[in-house]
Amino acid sequence: MGNKQTIFTAQQLFYRYRDLAPQLVPLDYTNHPDVKLPYELIGSMPELKDNPFRQRIAEVFSEDGQGNMTLDDFLDMFSVLSEMAPRDLKAYYAFKIYDFNNDDFLCKSDLEKTLNKLTRNELTEEEVRMVCEKVIDEADLDNDGRLSLEDFQHMIVRAPDFLSTFHIRI
Amino acid sequence: MTSYNNGGVFNPAYHDSETLEVDKRSSRKPHHSNPYANEDLALWGERADLRNDAEHGSHRGGWQEESRRVEESIPMGFITTNSTSASWQHNVYQSSLQIDGDSHYDPSPAARPISSMSGNMTMRWRGIAMRRMSMFPNSDPAFTEEEAEDEEQNLVKELVALSTREQVRQIRGLPMSFERKKHIRRQVMAFKSSKHSQHFTGFTDCSKNISLSFRRCGYGIKSARQTLELWHGIMKEIGGKFGSSVLTYFMFLKWLLMFNIFSFLVNFGFITIPLLVHDLSPNIPSNVSFRGLELLTGAGYFNYTVMYYGGYSNETLRGLVDYNMQLAYFFTIAIYMVLCGIVLIFSMANSFKKNYALADSASNSAWQLLCSWDFSITNDKTVRQRKSNLRVQLKESLSEKSLKKRLTLSEKLQQYGIHLGCWVLSTSLAVGCGASIFYLCQYEQEAMDSGPWSLLNEAETLLVPFVVSLMNMVIPLFFSLLNKFELYSNQRRQIYALLLRNVLLRMVILGVLCYYWMNVVPGRFLCWEPMVGQALYRLVIIDFLFLMLGSFFGEFLSNVIGTQLLPRFGVPEFDVARNVLDLIYAQTLAWIGIYFSPLLPAIQILKFFILFYLKKVSLTQNCQPPRRSSRAAQMQTIFIFLLFFPFFVGALSMVAYTAWSLTPSEQCGPFHGLNNTFSVVEIWIAGLEGSSDWVVWIYENIIRSELFYFLLTLIIIVIIYVFWQLIQGRKELIGLLRQQIINEGKDKSFLLDKLQYLQKSYSEIPAGPIKQKGPSSRRSDGHSSGSQSNSNAMVQVLLARQQLEEEEQRRSLGGVSVPSDISASSAMTQALLARQRAERQNEDFYQMPEEHPSSLNALDQAMAARQRALDDERDEYWSTTDFNERNSSASAVTQAMQARLRAEEDRGDDPADLPSPTSSVMIQVMQARQRAEEEERMQWAPDPLQNPAPSGSSALIQAMLARQQAQNEYDDGY
Repeated sequence: MGNKQTIFTAQQLFYRYRDLAPQLVPLDYTNHPDVKLPYELIGSMPELKDNPFRQRIAEVFSEDGQGNMTLDDFLDMFSVLSEMAPRDLKAYYAFKIYDFNNDDFLCKSDLEKTLNKLTRNELTEEEVRMVCEKVIDEADLDNDGRLSLEDFQHMIVRAPDFLSTFHIRI
Repeated sequence: MTSYNNGGVFNPAYHDSETLEVDKRSSRKPHHSNPYANEDLALWGERADLRNDAEHGSHRGGWQEESRRVEESIPMGFITTNSTSASWQHNVYQSSLQIDGDSHYDPSPAARPISSMSGNMTMRWRGIAMRRMSMFPNSDPAFTEEEAEDEEQNLVKELVALSTREQVRQIRGLPMSFERKKHIRRQVMAFKSSKHSQHFTGFTDCSKNISLSFRRCGYGIKSARQTLELWHGIMKEIGGKFGSSVLTYFMFLKWLLMFNIFSFLVNFGFITIPLLVHDLSPNIPSNVSFRGLELLTGAGYFNYTVMYYGGYSNETLRGLVDYNMQLAYFFTIAIYMVLCGIVLIFSMANSFKKNYALADSASNSAWQLLCSWDFSITNDKTVRQRKSNLRVQLKESLSEKSLKKRLTLSEKLQQYGIHLGCWVLSTSLAVGCGASIFYLCQYEQEAMDSGPWSLLNEAETLLVPFVVSLMNMVIPLFFSLLNKFELYSNQRRQIYALLLRNVLLRMVILGVLCYYWMNVVPGRFLCWEPMVGQALYRLVIIDFLFLMLGSFFGEFLSNVIGTQLLPRFGVPEFDVARNVLDLIYAQTLAWIGIYFSPLLPAIQILKFFILFYLKKVSLTQNCQPPRRSSRAAQMQTIFIFLLFFPFFVGALSMVAYTAWSLTPSEQCGPFHGLNNTFSVVEIWIAGLEGSSDWVVWIYENIIRSELFYFLLTLIIIVIIYVFWQLIQGRKELIGLLRQQIINEGKDKSFLLDKLQYLQKSYSEIPAGPIKQKGPSSRRSDGHSSGSQSNSNAMVQVLLARQQLEEEEQRRSLGGVSVPSDISASSAMTQALLARQRAERQNEDFYQMPEEHPSSLNALDQAMAARQRALDDERDEYWSTTDFNERNSSASAVTQAMQARLRAEEDRGDDPADLPSPTSSVMIQVMQARQRAEEEERMQWAPDPLQNPAPSGSSALIQAMLARQQAQNEYDDGY
């Protein structure tokens, strides 16, 4: 019920999921078969294949943290990335996606990784450092030199575009 | 870190589950998602954070900390019946805060804010969720099934208390997996139904069922609407290729299309259908036939159909029910306009709230890095382009500041001059356009008056709309050319300036046309409304043709030029602002025309429908994705605002002026013979007198009374004033809260610095003797006690410490900055505090030497703690995909401290070795105190006479005082 509004696409999503590997996924899900699709298949979806964060997305939403997804993980992923997901939820998962080392803070190394993913490693080290410093300087409210989830959410609230950009259309 | 320990561990009453529950309820804020809601608790939260770090020996912060804290402290309180563990926990807290229970510093429970015990619901949910959705399930051995169950129970209880709607919302917002959400929901439902079956009877069940089925029905409609969503696939494709800012245009187009469909349905349903049902055949004169040119001009044949005002009659249609055509016409148009206004106001206000009130342009880099990436982009080429665009933009933003400062006064003046010149030029252009259109209209009129009505004559009517549309197309291009010569410091201002000029141009043109229609046309024609309707029809059609031409010239030609002739221009971008303005202009025409030509929305629907496909093809064939990631949401707000403010309000006032002040033509239309359109209502009211007096009363005393409107205006102004004041107050509050957050941050870093400092001295000094004396002396201590395990532990400690030092060296070489230091230091702090705890237990042991079980117990616990720390660490090794050195260094510290702890515990067991740990405690406590006093004297000599406990607590007091002082300073600061 939590995701009732998106349930109508669940059927659609299931077919998408199944299309990735018809030989692995049974049509009949009544007995809750334990099926996991490997990351290679998930990451090759047209919606994800060009996304610089595809691996992180898959890792964050998969139960095992390796990017291998069950149907439920798959549904979760697209429900969070859908239009209807509340902002806080989106911000939470976006934070996790950017948090490459899973320490619950966006520290400089996370930001550098994000930056390198977004700019194809074409900035000099000096520039990367400056940008990261600037980002932390702008968004870090409590001056601990890294961004906590609160800092991040605070920033998201002030960036109304985020809702439309953190969105994958199915 | 602004997540506070809400566990309220200081209060013994906390361990009572009831209190916990009650407190949580009572202190739950309405907008609990605000993590800064309980700001003033930071002081205690801070402390709690540190303490907690100490407890867990964990180097993770924030959420996991929170979740652990919550999960650990809550269940301990009321599940475990094992008194040992409870007392242990109590001890931990005590020792970390107070060195000795009966020291002179006693934080009395009454002094603490009660609300610090409250659990922020959202936080806690996230806490659980963090664990649930943790990438490494079961990574924490301290986390057991029981605790999870319990946490879940609390969550369910909280959810049950909410209304159903709220429940759904909250559950949807839980960051948990699908499976877990379903589970939670099932539990909530079960809980609810069991509760209801006890208390309520059939009636409430029934109402429940009804509301449930209503809700389901609502969801069904919603989902049906979504599956039937128009152009879903195309939207996805456009979004995937061009990003969401270009998609804004298409969404806007779709929204306007919906508007027109609604408008068409209303007009067709309430005005046209009754007339057609009554009299199907239009009364067309025999000499008029359909020739084809009407499709363009709207004159001739169309003039006699229901297309225009003239085609409607003023009769009361007598059928099954009497249908007063006049009233129907008037009220349909009026209600449609009012509904449009309401929809616009609501969407505008909503958009403002979401996109403007909260938006903050200050954090540009952060936004560019973390929020601007469009996840919906699925096109490889676009992704590559976006990446290089982002790179360019970041570089620009880095160099922007240096560029700004270089402007001299003369340069500035020159710039202002250019701006002024451009403004004068564009304004005079717009005014000139308006004037020329007015004279053109007059010329056309004279030409038409001179000769008989012929086909050529009819074609001549196309001249005015042609010129108007041409101006609408060409002059904006000129404006953008002008815009290129102006150097704006920021891009947004440039866009706004361009937008403003275009709006001005269109307003002037429409204003002139309206003036002509209102003042000149009524005097010249016997049946003037259809003439205005025709003019509007022509404008709509010709505008459509020019939109098509515009996308041909604007996009296709510049694409050809950019790719074939002049490659330096490059492939054109889709100009969202210009295209959206075209749409707004088209919609304004439809609004103005609604009174004169009720079926104009049908033409508009067709136009927008074709335009959508046309623009889509033109976009995909000719354009490239936008180079700059502009803030699409804000642009959208501006578009809606523009649609509302000059354009809709203008159209509305024009229609209202026509209805109130102008005399309807005497020969045709539903209102012929009346003084003005509004007198329809007067006649209707006069007819009602006697039958329904209340309507008459309302009309006389409210609609027609100036006093009523005067009072209404007064009340609204008062309300606005009150809200304005409220807003000012809130602004102030926001400023204060933000300052407070910053202060908390400073506070924290201050404390961390202090601790780090303390820790440094702490690790230096004991390290000193060890290094100087070498392991042998310490080992001889161990030898005297005759315990092999002791020396083993010592060796371990030394090794661990060495490891740590290596780590630290490496780190300093690597230049890793603040964050890792902080986490390392927090790990150190944890270790330190754990150690203090152990030492306190040692003291207990000294005080009661005969009580061996307690010491053993302490030892056991230390062992267990160590085991846990090791387990943690192992899990970390096993699980962390991106392993960094910080973890290892922190765990090294932990290990060292744990090992040392054990060593001391061991020694503590041995009565022969009593003085050694005591003195080491002494040393440490002395150091702590000295550091707290910020004295740089290096007195490491142990003072065996002094009692360790008071000195420790006094060190604590010193630290507290220093902190207080810092706090005061910061407070004074702002």
